[in-house]
Amino acid sequence: MSEVIVITSGKGGVGKTTTTANVGMGLAMLNKKVVMIDTDIGLRNLDVVLGLENRIVYNLVDVVEGKCRLKQALIKHKKYPELCLLPSAQTRDKDAVTPEQMVELVNELREEFDYVLLDCPAGIEQGFKNAVAGADRALVVTTPEVSAIRDADRIVGLLEAGEMKKIDLIINRIRMDMVKRGDMLKVEDVCDILSINLIGVVPDDEQIVVATNQGEPLVGGSSLAGQAYYNICSRILGEEVPFMDLDAKKGLIGKLKDLFKK
Amino acid sequence: MTKEVVIKSNKYGMELILSDQIPFQELLQIIGEKFRETGNFFKNAKMAVSFSGRVLSSEEEIKIVDAIMENSDIQIVSIMDQGGLQEERMKNRLEEAGASAGTPKRRIIRKVQQPMPAEAEERPRTSLAKMRSEHTEKASAVDLQGGFYKGNLRSGQVLECPASVTLIGDVNPGARIESAGNVVVLGALKGNACAGMNGDQSCFIFALDMQPIQLQIGDVIAKSPDKVKDGRHLFKKEKTVQGAYSPQIAVAREGTIYVEPMTKGCLDKL
Repeated sequence: MSEVIVITSGKGGVGKTTTTANVGMGLAMLNKKVVMIDTDIGLRNLDVVLGLENRIVYNLVDVVEGKCRLKQALIKHKKYPELCLLPSAQTRDKDAVTPEQMVELVNELREEFDYVLLDCPAGIEQGFKNAVAGADRALVVTTPEVSAIRDADRIVGLLEAGEMKKIDLIINRIRMDMVKRGDMLKVEDVCDILSINLIGVVPDDEQIVVATNQGEPLVGGSSLAGQAYYNICSRILGEEVPFMDLDAKKGLIGKLKDLFKK
Repeated sequence: MTKEVVIKSNKYGMELILSDQIPFQELLQIIGEKFRETGNFFKNAKMAVSFSGRVLSSEEEIKIVDAIMENSDIQIVSIMDQGGLQEERMKNRLEEAGASAGTPKRRIIRKVQQPMPAEAEERPRTSLAKMRSEHTEKASAVDLQGGFYKGNLRSGQVLECPASVTLIGDVNPGARIESAGNVVVLGALKGNACAGMNGDQSCFIFALDMQPIQLQIGDVIAKSPDKVKDGRHLFKKEKTVQGAYSPQIAVAREGTIYVEPMTKGCLDKL
């Protein structure tokens, strides 16, 4: 029984692609067969974040147009051979693919993999429709900013109208120090506005930027964000994992431990 | 002697007023003489020309133009028909011809019929701006006779060439340059390059700064080495390398792509 999950947000730049990369890798770490599909045709990023850019020969559009077989376009991850990427085309646009074609493609992948992750483009146009078409489940990513939440709300509305079976929320890039000062919306506030199930909170972390630039997702690492993503993966599998205490001040001993780790 | 041929010039070209009282051969001779006398005055000028006073067939017009060019250094870029807006149209033709400077004399002679056809379609699309404005691969297939291209290729842009191509500028990551022949990048090649699109493995790819994501020569594809995880020196390192790049050339031998510094010995191997 495989599951097709779309990662979407409405607003751009909130961390859809980063989330896709990390969740995909985390699920692979948990011994699942995972394929990630970059549906952002024309503005592909997922391959870069995963460090697989140089292996792309065929892409999503080639598969859909029958220029190659599906197997030929799938790129295996360097570390986790159970993790595959179907990159998008950079030289085409969203209209190159129709929702029907996506459904067909996803159903083909469903037979081989445990999880199919769809990295959705920003916006609610053709690209969004393509990405959402074949999905059973959605992860809505937002940041604790009113604009991102507004867009997320719109997305949730569209997903509900499209009868998405399961919609979960990831709050990305939260900064506990700002929340404490009252400069940033609290997790509870965001949940109140969107009123969907919260599946993870990822703190703002410099390491994310480093990891993205190196093409090595940090899920499962020692950083807070890495742990948060790992927890999200466990929750996707249906495990009950308590939410991390993000503002735990590290004691002297904890800091020393960190020093030695480095 | 020469009431038969009167040359009037305007800002963008000249008008020949021809007598219809004498045979064509004689007329041709007179024109030849006239331009031999005065031709040096024009010195390589590019001009549009129009005829009046006599009904000419297109063959005759071509003959006259040939006579002018044989006897002088004038380059006739276009023959204009009679019409009210003559000067205006001459100007247009001349400016257009100016854009394709350097092409041989003969080729640019083209006859324009009275109602001006949509000219944009006749001309090969050689402007980069045009290519950029169109997204699909097909539209960016550029018919390049010169094979020279100026400007950077940005992510998502594809430059396809039916023959060898020289790009003066960079190929950014995500962009692609394809050619049925050789590819020369006078700049940084940081995207994808494909030489010998139709399967010719004897082609080469040259770049001043060779940092491609993928190279393809004929049917052989090579990818760049994976990034080595090296802590936080990621960007610092690249910068130091950048200062010291050297021109490199990629060739295919026995199903493998080799990237080598461009040295003298390299040329012999090609």
